Amino acid sequence: MKETCLSLKVSKRYPDFSLEVDTSFPEGITAIFGPSGSGKTTILNCIAGITSPDDGEIRLHDRPLFSSSLGVSLPPEQRHVALMFQESLLFPHYRVYENILYGFKLTPPERRRIQPEHLVELLELGSLMERRPSSLSTGERQRVALARALATSPELLLMDEPLGALDIALRGRILRYLRDVHRELETPMVYVSHSISEVLAIADRALVISGGMQLAFDEPRKVLLEPYVHSLVELGSVENLLDAQVVEQGSDHSLADARIGDAVLRVTGVPLGVGAGDTISIAISAADIIVAVDRPSRISARNILNARIQGIHQVGSNVLLYADAGAPFMVEITREALETLELREGQEVFLVIKSSSIVVLD
Amino acid sequence: MLSSEEFQVIGLSLQVAALGTLIGLPIALWIGWLLAKSSIPGKPVLDTLVSFPLVLPPVVTGYLLLLLMGPDGPIGRLLNSAFGVDVVFTWVAAALAAGLVALPLMVRAIEVAMAGVDPRLELAARSLGAGPFKTFFSVTVPLAHRGILAAALLAFARGLGEFGATIVVAGSIPGKTQTMPLLIFNRIQLGDDAAAVRLIVASMVLALLALTAHQRLARRIAI
Repeated sequence: MKETCLSLKVSKRYPDFSLEVDTSFPEGITAIFGPSGSGKTTILNCIAGITSPDDGEIRLHDRPLFSSSLGVSLPPEQRHVALMFQESLLFPHYRVYENILYGFKLTPPERRRIQPEHLVELLELGSLMERRPSSLSTGERQRVALARALATSPELLLMDEPLGALDIALRGRILRYLRDVHRELETPMVYVSHSISEVLAIADRALVISGGMQLAFDEPRKVLLEPYVHSLVELGSVENLLDAQVVEQGSDHSLADARIGDAVLRVTGVPLGVGAGDTISIAISAADIIVAVDRPSRISARNILNARIQGIHQVGSNVLLYADAGAPFMVEITREALETLELREGQEVFLVIKSSSIVVLD
Repeated sequence: MLSSEEFQVIGLSLQVAALGTLIGLPIALWIGWLLAKSSIPGKPVLDTLVSFPLVLPPVVTGYLLLLLMGPDGPIGRLLNSAFGVDVVFTWVAAALAAGLVALPLMVRAIEVAMAGVDPRLELAARSLGAGPFKTFFSVTVPLAHRGILAAALLAFARGLGEFGATIVVAGSIPGKTQTMPLLIFNRIQLGDDAAAVRLIVASMVLALLALTAHQRLARRIAI
């Protein structure tokens, strides 16, 4: 187990709902996953200092933020925890750069670890600096909100459904920014979501809660194996959200070969201006991937990947496969297909993906 | 046309209403914030107390002010020993009376304006490291500024017309504390109808100007 970043022991009772959580998050990105009304946001509010738990202790890098036994409850501004909401909540009376600098200026110089200029570059905000929040698109607002939160050099970044208000194309793009930011700045993050695709795409581990109780805490893929999690996952909505590197631009400019791990995919709809070496975000619905036991020949689908089945999980009437094709893929098939093909773990198969099923998210 | 003495009275009235508004504004901001944003216990009590000057006869408000600020009142004694000043029966007392009587109007308008500021924006500011004061001045007040300005204008207009509390705590001393309403009353009593009408027209024009400005602001808030 890596070093503990946040230890969390919280109980909070409401007339019609109670929350009991006792866990600790290592560095990295931790997702809190659960249906709406499960207590995800309450946990976040307790960490941020918006809500006081009835009982318990919250420590960030061993610094108590809240402790009922010590009688400690730091106000939000002293917790060094930044918060990002579903709506960006930018200050409408400030320009973009004033929003970004708001928290930076309030951060004592000795605690400033992240420079605003660096964030502007990472999140590609240079051209937006003089704009007012009301003139920005939803995706731009979330990027500015992310920069504003990180400019305080937080010890922890809390995100409450940060992609909830965005369409699928923007979600992929912001996820890529989040991954870039995390790789560069190493800020630990807690990511609240009810979307399993997002959790799988971004988190190192996931805390699953339902009805205020923690059900599981493990790597996102393993968490999904838990039978009770399946009732929380809406199949058909599971997407493979992946970053791919363009290897070669086709003669027709909208076609390109892109590498994900060891797999190379032929994708369409690559935007103009993207060339070899650039990274693009793609989404492939788990239900759009076909599994073949023998290598199909003379088939219109442009992508046939060698893969090994790593896990088979029944989710309701359907089945979710984990397949390693040089990169991890989730595949959704029917139970009938599973039985007819007699698929089992460890088996070598072929994943067939139409180029048009690969959505380029840029 | 107005005589130079009457112009002076108008000047004094504007001065009194302005100072009264200025003194009342920080108090109204504070109480408005308490009512709109805080979760203090006893909020209903404060809510009721604030409306008191609105429903009490202004004469009673003025008398209470006199008890507080007079030579034997707690605040009056404090001011006298600290600065050697007597406030009652000065134009400052008239301003205090105007401010106090207009306070409920100002508090209500500010409370509404502040309640319209998304509390999550304030939370965002707190999570970015701003304390309650910084949040108040950098988020709440700027976002409610039109409503606050409208509230101040309304209080100013109300202050211009203040009569009952003023006459008790400041008297009606010509050239010193005699504001427009007091002078009008004086002229009516003397039977100088021509002067009374001149002053009444002048005060109507002033009230109209202040209210028009207030309404323009209020309309911009609504949009």
